[in-house]
Parts: sequence; structure tokens; C-alpha cells
Amino acid sequence: MNQTQQVPVTVLTGFLGAGKTTLLNRILTEQHGRRYAVIVNEFGEEGIDNDLVVDADEEVFEMNNGCICCTVRGDLIRILSGLMKRADQLDAIIVETTGLADPAPVAQTFFVDQDVADRTKLDAIVTVADAVHLNSQLGEHHEAEEQVAFADVVLLNKTDLVDETGLDGVEKRIKKINPYTKIIRTAHCDAPLENILSLDAFSLERVLEVEPDFLDSDHDHEHDDDVTSVSIVSEAPLDLEKFEAWFGKLLQTHGQDILRSKGIIEFLGIDERYVFQGVHMLMDASPMGAWPEGANRNSRMVFIGRNLESMNLKEGFEGCKAA
Amino acid sequence: MQSGVTSTTVDRTAKRIGISETEVERRGFKYELGAPVTGAATVGDAVAVGFGDGSLRFFRPGQKPSVQQSHLGVILCMAAYRDVLVTGGDDGRCLKITPNGIMQELADFDTKWVDCVAATQGLVACSSGKNVQLWSAGQSKPLNFVHSSTVGGLSFDARGQRLAVAHYGGVTVWGRTRRKWKSSTFAWKGFHGAVTFSPDGKYLVSAMQENAVHGWRIRDKANLAMSGYPAKVKSFAWAGDTPFLVTSGADEAICWPFDGKNGPMERSPLCIAHNRKQIATCVLALQNEDAVFAGFRDGSVLLAKLDGTVDPIAIRGSSGAEVTAMALSPSKSHLAIGDAKGNVLWAPLGNGVAYARNV
Repeated sequence: MNQTQQVPVTVLTGFLGAGKTTLLNRILTEQHGRRYAVIVNEFGEEGIDNDLVVDADEEVFEMNNGCICCTVRGDLIRILSGLMKRADQLDAIIVETTGLADPAPVAQTFFVDQDVADRTKLDAIVTVADAVHLNSQLGEHHEAEEQVAFADVVLLNKTDLVDETGLDGVEKRIKKINPYTKIIRTAHCDAPLENILSLDAFSLERVLEVEPDFLDSDHDHEHDDDVTSVSIVSEAPLDLEKFEAWFGKLLQTHGQDILRSKGIIEFLGIDERYVFQGVHMLMDASPMGAWPEGANRNSRMVFIGRNLESMNLKEGFEGCKAA
Repeated sequence: MQSGVTSTTVDRTAKRIGISETEVERRGFKYELGAPVTGAATVGDAVAVGFGDGSLRFFRPGQKPSVQQSHLGVILCMAAYRDVLVTGGDDGRCLKITPNGIMQELADFDTKWVDCVAATQGLVACSSGKNVQLWSAGQSKPLNFVHSSTVGGLSFDARGQRLAVAHYGGVTVWGRTRRKWKSSTFAWKGFHGAVTFSPDGKYLVSAMQENAVHGWRIRDKANLAMSGYPAKVKSFAWAGDTPFLVTSGADEAICWPFDGKNGPMERSPLCIAHNRKQIATCVLALQNEDAVFAGFRDGSVLLAKLDGTVDPIAIRGSSGAEVTAMALSPSKSHLAIGDAKGNVLWAPLGNGVAYARNV
């Protein structure tokens, strides 16, 4: 597009009482010299009065495009389109979701709607978690697990109310669901805003910078309903056609259970690194330049989701190796 | 970005080639107004153009445009009938404005946006969220209709007897009976935005969230699926005697015939005003001349005859910003073109109309 730059959109999730409103109020009132619009849910916590606050009503629409688990936030399409008509340029947009919302439709909106994708980009999913209550919430609500599983950043809040052992326990629990999330400990959501906004976590470039954890494929689980992660590495290059066939089918049949996926792949006969990043069945993928000089040409993939053990991910991936 | 393994290009920088400045542009007036153009409509003796900063400008042939501050934020929607203009904004207000600047606030939804408006003889409607308010001449208070989801489009039929309300899952048509308004549902999966009745009132058409237009024959609610667009259909217009439903969303104007018993069922559309790889974003009919203006994503505007027998002529060159609104002066002597960067071209048509008439 030859138009203005894409405005980054941060999705803010978290259960009621975790501290989302505290954070939103900071974003709206602190002297940061930037213009942030905030899209809040009308059933959210106490009201925030500001002309850059927009009420939303979390309308989830099924798309008529043959993608069975493809849902989008209709209200978000409408509101983002309206915000893009403003005379002033926004530096970022923050979308608050209610505690019981599934983050997937919000993320999918940025993959599905071309107008939204042209003018804005999904920056990161930030989950505010209450250090006191997260453990019990994870046990009781699917949504809490999902919010942690989707998170690029978990803002572990109210750390002043829990002792060090307790905090370690909560962090362990978070890492078990999502080993790739960044955890920031705060007492009153007082982390610097630059650690929360404009992270560019959904760009394919960021997939290339994943931490060493990316290779850590250790995981165990207690029962099937748990969200877990699997990461796979291959030293041998893959065959493009085999991979496309396997991965396409995997997303089509198990897309509902795969919450997030990322990967860097080496294909036989192709010099560039192939990078992808997905939410459920939808993904963004592209060749992203040559491998760095002297780097290990490992193919790496990571999946976060439910029932991953039933998908034979390792076997399927092995089957894609170039003969 | 569909499911499965796909490859998308990362480099999205568009090249500034395309159509160069036209004769019509050189003879016209260009304004750089800072805020994106969000709507345009013919009202009274003027063309009203709405902006993202809440201002309205009235353009008249031979005069400087007059400015009026109306909304506190973005003008999200506008509709006009004769000399009444209705606007809705992200300041939650719905305003009724005359071309000489008399402004009346019809409704204030506070923090809720007014997303859609419609106007016809003696009737005005606006929507905010799931609610539609309908004002009838002679009634002091509006009626309120509630729908199952946020409203995406509003339109009256030509006789002012029906109001179409588009939303998720289909379109609700409110028909006027002697005592009250009664609803009837036209269902089709997906979200429906802009909506319109055919001029004869026999068909109902909506632009969908998907890259498609959906239609119904009102008599029996038969479905008409019009798909295959490479982009979302953001704009449509009725043109010619047939008439044709002219739509944006492709690299040309796609025109569906609505004559005969079955309208466009099992028929192919006319494709006119082809513009290389540019996607049409805004269309406008030149009534009585069987011609159509098509505005494109690169800012260019072409005028083409419906019969497609001759090459279209360029009205505006590639400005670099998407055409978001167009409207003709009441005598069709001038055309206003607005784009997403806040540029307005106010152009005397002269040759253009002559072209459309003579060729």
C-alpha cells in the first residue's frame, strides 16, 4: 500500500480484577507524548473518560470463507476503520478484551480482513495476570489458559501480595503453558510502557529472534485439556512439497486445537529462510532472507495448543525431510 | 492470508506510476484539506463533502467552498435527500444540516458512534450499535428498532415505504403499514454492510464482509450470490435504464444487470473502466448518460460508458491515495472527488459529460 504506515494494535487480555484498567489509565494519562486510542469493552471494569476511548461490544462473526474455525471481531473491523479516518495520526491502538473472551477472534481479524491488515498490524497480545489468583483461575477457566497461551507478554501483577516462592510457582505454571512468553513482574501494572507497547511480536522478523528457549522441547502434562507446547528441530533440510502437504492438512484438521504456531524452516534447494507465524488455522508466511553466515541451518517449529500429542507432530515433521 | 502454506510479499511499496494529471484536473480546483474525505453527497444546490476532522464543505459551481464545523470527531456517514443532509459521527451525534448551514441535532448517543444514516422524502434514519432510530415527518419522537447485531447499512426504498437494515446474518426490512412498521428478515450467513433497494423496489442488495455482494428478489426471497471479487465491495450505485448495479472491489467496475424476471441470476456482469491492476474503491452513476465514474485505490478516476464500446477516459490521475467519495453537482456540471489523504478535486466536467453523451 502506498498509504500511511500501519498503526500497531496491542491486544490486552486478562481476567476481571487483574489490573487491566490500571494499565489503561496509565496509558491514557501518563505524559508519554504519544497518541494512543483505547478500545474498551462496555462490560469492562469502571469507566474511563477520555475522547480517545471507544466502546466496543465484542461481536464475534463467523466468516463465510470455508474456514471452519475462522471467527473475527466484527466490531473491531468497524472501529479500526473509523479510527483510520481521523485527521490525526495515532501512534498505537490498544484493544481491551473482557476476562472471559477468547483472544483468537481478535488476532484472526488481522489475518482475515484486508482493510484492517492494510492500515493496522497486530503488535502483541499482552495478558495481565493476577499473581494471587492466577493459579485457581487457570484451573477453573479455559479462557484463562488461552489468554496465557496466546500471550507474547504476561504482566504478572500484584506481586507485592505474594511471596517469592509463590511467584516462582505461578511463573512455572505460566511457562508450562507457554514457554515462549515474556513475564514481567509488577505490583501495580507499573512496568515501563515500552515493554508492553510496540513490541512487533507478530512480525515474521521477530520469529527470527526467538530466545534459546525455542529449542527447549521439554514438556509434560497432566490431563488432555491442558494447554501445552511442543517444539521440534531438524538438522536436515525439508522438502517444500511434502511440508506444504503435511502442514496444510495439519492446520485444516487440528487448527482449532493449535492456538499459536511459529517456525523457521530450511527447504532443500532454497537459499532463503522460510518463516511462518500463525493463529489457529490462519498464518502469515514468507521467505525472509538468507541464513546468516555460519549459522546453524536448523529447521525449528513450535506449537502451543491442546491435544498436541495426538497430532503426531514429530512424526509428521520427520516425514517432511528431503530424501 | 488463507489457511495452508501461502507466501505473501513483504515489500508493499507501491510505485508512483499510473495515470498522469488529466485535462479535467488542470481545469478544476484542487484542495488539500488535511483530514481524510469520508463522504460526499448532492444536497440542494451544492455538493457536501465530509471529513475525518468533523468539518463539512459545500461546493458550488463558480463559488469558493464554504466550511462548516459539524461533528467533534470523524464524520462516519452521510446521506442526502433534496436539500436535507444527514450526518453521523464518532462524537455520537446525528445531525440534520441544510446547504445554507442550518444545523439541527437529531440524536446524541454520547460515547456510542453513529455508524449509518439514510434519508428520503419525509423520513430520516440513523443507527448506533444495534439500534436504528427512525424519524417521520410530523412525528415528534423517533421510533427505535433493535437488531440482533451492530447495524452495517441503512437504506430506504425509492417510495419511502421500506427501510432496509443490514447486520450480521442478513438484512431486516421494515415496511410501513397504516399503523406501524413491520419487519421481515432476509437471511444469509455472514456480515452485511452497505445495503440498497433496486430503483423498482423489487430487489435488495448488500455488500458483505467477504469479497461478495448478496442480493434477494424481495417477492420470494430468492438468493442472488454475486462473488468473485478480489477485494471487499465498498461502494455501489444504480446506473442506466436496465438498471445495472455498479460495484467496486475489482480492477474494473463490475455491473450486474437487474432487468427481466431473474435479474443477474445465471448471467455475467458487464466489466467496464478497466484500470490495470488498481482496485476500484468508489463508484458513481452519471444518470441519463448511461455512464459510470469509477474511483480507484491509487486515486485515479475513470469515466466509462455502460455499453463499454469505447475506451474509458481519465478524469483524475493517480494521486496516490484511495478515492473514498464522489458526488455530482445537481446539474451534473461538476464532480467532487475526495481521497483518503484529504485531497478534493472539484472539477468542471464539460468535455467529460459531452463525451458520455456523444460517444
